[in-house]
Amino acid sequence: MAEVESSVEFSSSLTSSTLPPPRTRIFKIIVIGDSGVGKTCLTYRFCAGKFPEKTEATIGVDFRERLVEIDGEKIKIQLWDTAGQERFRKSMVQHYYRNVHAVVFVYDVTSAASFRSLPAWIEECKQHALGTEVPRILVGNKCDLQDSIQVGTDVAQQFADAHSMPLFETSAKNPTNQGDGSYGRGNSDHVEAIFMTVAHKLKSQKPLVLSQPPGGPGGPGGTVTLGRARDDGGDGARSWGCSSC
Amino acid sequence: MTKPKRRKNNAGVRVNGNGPSVTREPDSWKKQKLAEIHQALNSDPVDIETLRRAAASKGGLLIDELRRKVWPKLLNVNVYDLPHKPGRDVRENHKDYNQVLLDVRRSMKRFPKGMPATERAVLQEQLIDIILEVLKHSPQLHYYQGYHDVAVTLLLLVGERRAIAMLHTLSNHHLRDFMDPTMDSTKHILNYLMPIIEQVDTELHDFMIRAEVGTIFALSWLITWYGHVLSEFRHTLRLYDFFLASHPLMPIYLAAAIVLHREKEVKRTECDMAMVHHLLSRIPQDLPYELLIGRSQALFDQYPPSLLAKRAALQSHKSLSISTFQSFQLSTLHQRPDSVLQRLTKARGSSASRHDHRHPGLEAALSRDRGLLLGQGNRMVKMAVWGLSATLGAAVFAVAQTAMDWGPEMLFQLF
Repeated sequence: MAEVESSVEFSSSLTSSTLPPPRTRIFKIIVIGDSGVGKTCLTYRFCAGKFPEKTEATIGVDFRERLVEIDGEKIKIQLWDTAGQERFRKSMVQHYYRNVHAVVFVYDVTSAASFRSLPAWIEECKQHALGTEVPRILVGNKCDLQDSIQVGTDVAQQFADAHSMPLFETSAKNPTNQGDGSYGRGNSDHVEAIFMTVAHKLKSQKPLVLSQPPGGPGGPGGTVTLGRARDDGGDGARSWGCSSC
Repeated sequence: MTKPKRRKNNAGVRVNGNGPSVTREPDSWKKQKLAEIHQALNSDPVDIETLRRAAASKGGLLIDELRRKVWPKLLNVNVYDLPHKPGRDVRENHKDYNQVLLDVRRSMKRFPKGMPATERAVLQEQLIDIILEVLKHSPQLHYYQGYHDVAVTLLLLVGERRAIAMLHTLSNHHLRDFMDPTMDSTKHILNYLMPIIEQVDTELHDFMIRAEVGTIFALSWLITWYGHVLSEFRHTLRLYDFFLASHPLMPIYLAAAIVLHREKEVKRTECDMAMVHHLLSRIPQDLPYELLIGRSQALFDQYPPSLLAKRAALQSHKSLSISTFQSFQLSTLHQRPDSVLQRLTKARGSSASRHDHRHPGLEAALSRDRGLLLGQGNRMVKMAVWGLSATLGAAVFAVAQTAMDWGPEMLFQLF
């Protein structure tokens, strides 16, 4: 049984022998949104490559990471998975907004309330100096639950455009275009592609903080090679900042 | 054909695997401890100091059967005067209803492995009800994610009605700071962590400060009493023995003891927020709990909260959990043993039903007695009530006492 706590998603780089190679860049991405929208499942899906069987409420902040390769460069993507309940964001999570390179806003397509909370989350980020200059994306999760959709793509797209963010709709549970040949909806984005798009965006920006000291050999498995932008969603994912559908 | 045997084994609230370890030729210290606990429970008033010591010392309360009796005493809960089961209306119009529902429905991991889904679903619904019942009763309390981890521990061990009574007391005392409208008070409690570490290992303290790791890695430990992070329920129960018998800040001292225990690992880690946070927030499942409990107790004795508060300028913030702790402890000193409580309840019930006018002062005395149980009466009244109880029910007492000796569990099931 997959348990989120068991750090299978973490590429065991805690010991000196498995430290990533010198000058590995770290992209720190914070994932925020209402309680129950699927932040833990999304980050787990990206870092561990599967949907966790049991997830529980995140208390405070959880951390997951994965080493990827983009255009020949190894990059560590750190995802900070946060508690959704309002009381935590006010006084607890602030510490983790520091030095964040990108923000992922998540809502649940089957919950209009989670969509209506987005302005508050955006405001929260602004208060921590994470405005439009920081890459931000909007992710509508659980789009496999087609019968219960409450937030239409058009409404979400308008909102995303208004806030200069690209929109992705996905399902951490049943991401489409999986290599396993499963059939999926055409409009859904792959979780992996979403985070990789952010990584690409960050890589193309000005050099980021280098915080990895020179060290041992390359990381273990879990490295993803992404030579070119992916076809599915990697094509700028319906624009970055300007609207085009 | 499948045998229905497995299902039967899982029935009831047998949640812990620690039974056999005791029935299998108990060590002599365990035998002695069990006897001491029984004696303390039967003392009149209940020997709460001995119960506290037992809960904190090696092995804690040892077996679930004893926990069910001692936990209510540690919280001054009269198990013969419990709140009723919540009605349907408890779910109506509560501001935290949706959040509670969300957190409880996905808290599958807290239930024993192998428990049939239907049974678990029933307990989950009970869990939602008891949480809302306690919150509804005390509007000053605000639900936080993690509260359900505390509630489920109580529910699994003592059942619905006792869990409500215990959760009510805990929420107004030990957990009170976490239940403010904001988490500022919780943050304040977390601020005790680094000063404790500093007292013992300055180097480790400085390393953690340099890494800017903060204290959020210990947040879920604190506000769930480790219930959220431990996968073995018996470990959670052992820690709850300890915390129920201790100062509200004790979970922080345990957090310090855990970090100090992992000192080498921490120092070997890259001095970076993410790395240190990741290392510390993943609690090893094979921690030497008895050792660490002993150490946190020693840390508490050596660096009490008042001392830390002075050194670390922590005093500015008013903590309700800390400020009410002394009076809470005092309130636990005058509890009657269960055999007496049971008799009193019976007497009250029969006198009410038979309209017995021979002892017109009884109801008044009993209600005064109940007041005493809440720590509100004075010593003289208490003595008077005890005298009255003794003359009224000497015979019943003898019978109940014998029954308690024979099969206390059987008696419990009667009520």
